[in-house]
Amino acid sequence: MDDIAIIGYAQSPSQRRAELTEPQFLFPVISEAIERANVERRDIGFTCAGSCDYLSGQTFAFVMNLEAVGAWPPISESHVEMDGAWALYEAWVRLQHGDIDVALAFGSGKSSPGDPSEIYPLQLDPYTLTPLGADPVSMAALQARAMLDKGTITEQEMAEIAVRSRTNAANNPYAQVRGSGDVDTLLREPYVTAPLRRHDLPPISDGASAVVLATADKARAVCERPVWIRGIDHRIEPHQPGMRDLTESISTRQAGRHAGIDHGPVEVAELSATFSHQEKLLREALGLGDEVQVNPSGGALAANPVMAVGLARIAEAARAISERGVSRALAHATSGQCLQQNLVCVLEGA
Amino acid sequence: MTPAATEPDDDNSVKMMDYFMQLEYREPLCPVVRRYADQLLEGRLIGHQCPSCGLVYLPPRGYCPICVVETTDADETVLSDRGTVTNYTVVTPVQYYGQHETEPFVRASVTLDGGNATMNLQDLVDVPVDEVRVGMRVAAVWKPKGERSVADISNRSWGSAEGCIDGWRPTGEPDAPAEQFLGKATF
Amino acid sequence: MSRPAAIVGIGQTKHKKRRDDVSLPGLVREAAQRALDDAELGWTDIDAVVLGKAPDPFEGVMMPELSMADALGAVGKPIMRVHTAGSVGGSTALVATHLVQTGIHDRVLTVAYEKQAEGNAQWGLAGGRSGGMGAGGIFAPWMRSYMARAGAPEHIGWMVAVKDRRNAAKNPYAHLQMPNLTIDEVKDSPMLWDPIHWHESCPSSDGACAMVITTEDGAARSPHPPAWVLGTAMRSELGTFPGRDPVRPQAGVECAHLVYEAAGIRDPRQQVDIAELYVPFSWYEPMWLEGHDIAGPGEGWRMVESGETQIDGSFPVNPSGGVLSSNPIGASGMLRFAETALQVRGRAGEHQVPDATVGLAQAYGGAAQYFAMWVVGSTLDAVDQKR
Repeated sequence: MDDIAIIGYAQSPSQRRAELTEPQFLFPVISEAIERANVERRDIGFTCAGSCDYLSGQTFAFVMNLEAVGAWPPISESHVEMDGAWALYEAWVRLQHGDIDVALAFGSGKSSPGDPSEIYPLQLDPYTLTPLGADPVSMAALQARAMLDKGTITEQEMAEIAVRSRTNAANNPYAQVRGSGDVDTLLREPYVTAPLRRHDLPPISDGASAVVLATADKARAVCERPVWIRGIDHRIEPHQPGMRDLTESISTRQAGRHAGIDHGPVEVAELSATFSHQEKLLREALGLGDEVQVNPSGGALAANPVMAVGLARIAEAARAISERGVSRALAHATSGQCLQQNLVCVLEGA
Repeated sequence: MTPAATEPDDDNSVKMMDYFMQLEYREPLCPVVRRYADQLLEGRLIGHQCPSCGLVYLPPRGYCPICVVETTDADETVLSDRGTVTNYTVVTPVQYYGQHETEPFVRASVTLDGGNATMNLQDLVDVPVDEVRVGMRVAAVWKPKGERSVADISNRSWGSAEGCIDGWRPTGEPDAPAEQFLGKATF
Repeated sequence: MSRPAAIVGIGQTKHKKRRDDVSLPGLVREAAQRALDDAELGWTDIDAVVLGKAPDPFEGVMMPELSMADALGAVGKPIMRVHTAGSVGGSTALVATHLVQTGIHDRVLTVAYEKQAEGNAQWGLAGGRSGGMGAGGIFAPWMRSYMARAGAPEHIGWMVAVKDRRNAAKNPYAHLQMPNLTIDEVKDSPMLWDPIHWHESCPSSDGACAMVITTEDGAARSPHPPAWVLGTAMRSELGTFPGRDPVRPQAGVECAHLVYEAAGIRDPRQQVDIAELYVPFSWYEPMWLEGHDIAGPGEGWRMVESGETQIDGSFPVNPSGGVLSSNPIGASGMLRFAETALQVRGRAGEHQVPDATVGLAQAYGGAAQYFAMWVVGSTLDAVDQKR
């Protein structure tokens, strides 16, 4: 595959309830990403968006988001009903043709108008699982329980992950949940859905993220420190939770292997662990040791703008390389309940 | 949320079962649409005029998607509540859960006087459906002030003046020349 | 890099008002299995799956690629879900094609579907509100504008309706089977959205379509002739702004010119043997003939009137019966793409256009603002042969 680079990225602050509409808060994010990429809007040869009708409660919700792009004169464009990380994947594929040299990917979601516990059961098998009304917190609780029973995590470790995420988020202007707090205090809190406490859950967030990609020549021409995509892959596993060992993430392991994470040491990992226990599970699936800095941004426990959060992980991993001198990082995005589908992207500096 | 069509089969066997679900979404109006709604209650139609290209957006969006510039209260412009029917269709309503319309009704595009702003999918009142024509001059029929409601105004431009304007009534003025509009669609 | 991609497997379901004999995964698997059978491949031969459908609220299933992963044999593989409104079936096929052309995968299964009977698209389109008028209500004023602009007589719409339904009678998968539909029956059917009569509108269908797309090596091993992808294009524009021309959307014009250029087509009317265009309402046939510069201004309806777009005419449009005869929304675009491939493979059965070697497919969506197109050929130089 040809090397493709990230040359610009931007995020909106993650908010519990955005006052603006999705296209309105997306608008400055796309503009900022393009500006930081040092390219013009008309240079963009392909645009791909990620968003979800059911979050907005509106068929064709993505159509309005096109207004934030500047789709006049007409543009070459596509949309995935998936996290923006998969929009980036499609844009990366499109750039491989070599006939265009700049592409834009973005993801956006406004979760505040609806109730996640009502909406997400619709993501399950409509005949056998949706009628059970299994909400994401209950599903994640089953997964955490399986890990606790197996002895691969403790509630103490889960709280430690939450504390580290919040502490890291203190320096992230886009984060929603910040601050320190000690493990013992958190562990005295009641369960929301046992064995999960509030700190084990992600916030409900509105937000957007955007990434500008370029071919190698273009990236070198416009960008001082391009961030190279060395590998990107995504895999899915069976849908029925009863058919999976929820204490492992086979699809993450597969995606990581295909993305080439083993080709060198990883310094930073930005993981879409929307529940605390999933961070540990993902670390193991990706073979990340204690030396790897995980979620220096605070991760999804600090800001969870669904449909933008995975792409935000890629943006954060890119930021670690371009702004903090990290040489190799990976980003992870997920879809479905209990990490059913996973994407891994390996990034490198010079 | 999505009622399935259940039709009895000849053999009365159960082929499908309805599964109803209800999702509730509450999205407060964003500031520019809030301002638009407040002005509707006052009997005024406002739009944002792009400072760059001059196009007028109604309801205001807070940006011009063509020039990709943000627009603010400073770009606000009060629009005429009179205009010309520039396109229309007569809809025979399809029945679905929540549909209350049963008789054919008109949906018209009304281009407002003095500019390029067009309100789409508007009701026409006091005119038989077979008398509607392109070029017809119309004026907004405002509800009495105390009866206006913006409950159906959304951030998505749906119900763009619903609850405040009952529809558009022919003014009786001579038609604007239809040739000016025929063949031009605005949307 | 860009390497040739070929369609070696095509499958579709029988499109019906209500497929109550299969579940959602059962429906897509039926089409996918037929595509694999056509290619004489098994599920394990597939590297990746690209799924497309119209809005999730049409069936009430959010992100259906998750619950369909097993039925589509996608476990352990990449699967993506594309959604570009009505053009989605086309866009989905293009994403799958790009995965092969760029060398990322060698064999990609692409599937699109809609199971309208398991939901209510009219409700979905109206967002649950009263006064919903369906897609026809949105498009009707633009058809009126076209008629005025082009000076088209009203019987053109009726002629398109009759032609497509008669073509559908030659296609065993088509939903509506009306071999004897007459102009008078169309004209006398109830008016839905002026100028669209009942018989000038698409039905509501359950159905799915699937294709297997592969490399030159894969094509060489294919048991049946492949169809080669000679050009692809996608174009989108804003749906609504003052001064927009939705009758001849600029995105549609540009998309067509891009795909012609990619395929080396200079004169589509001469160099394309068969076109499958997304015509959910009769008037869209002449509108797209002009909107894609196949015909000049005001000439689209004359092509219809003179019979040029009939299955035995000089420029056959929708020999499959088109969207007017089968409309599983999300699959409707892919069916256009698949039907052109069937034609240039010579495998379209009774609705085969003799000696078709170059096919043009188009799908559109939203407020006539999203466009996806491809050109396929029986050989990689099929267009050159027509110079």
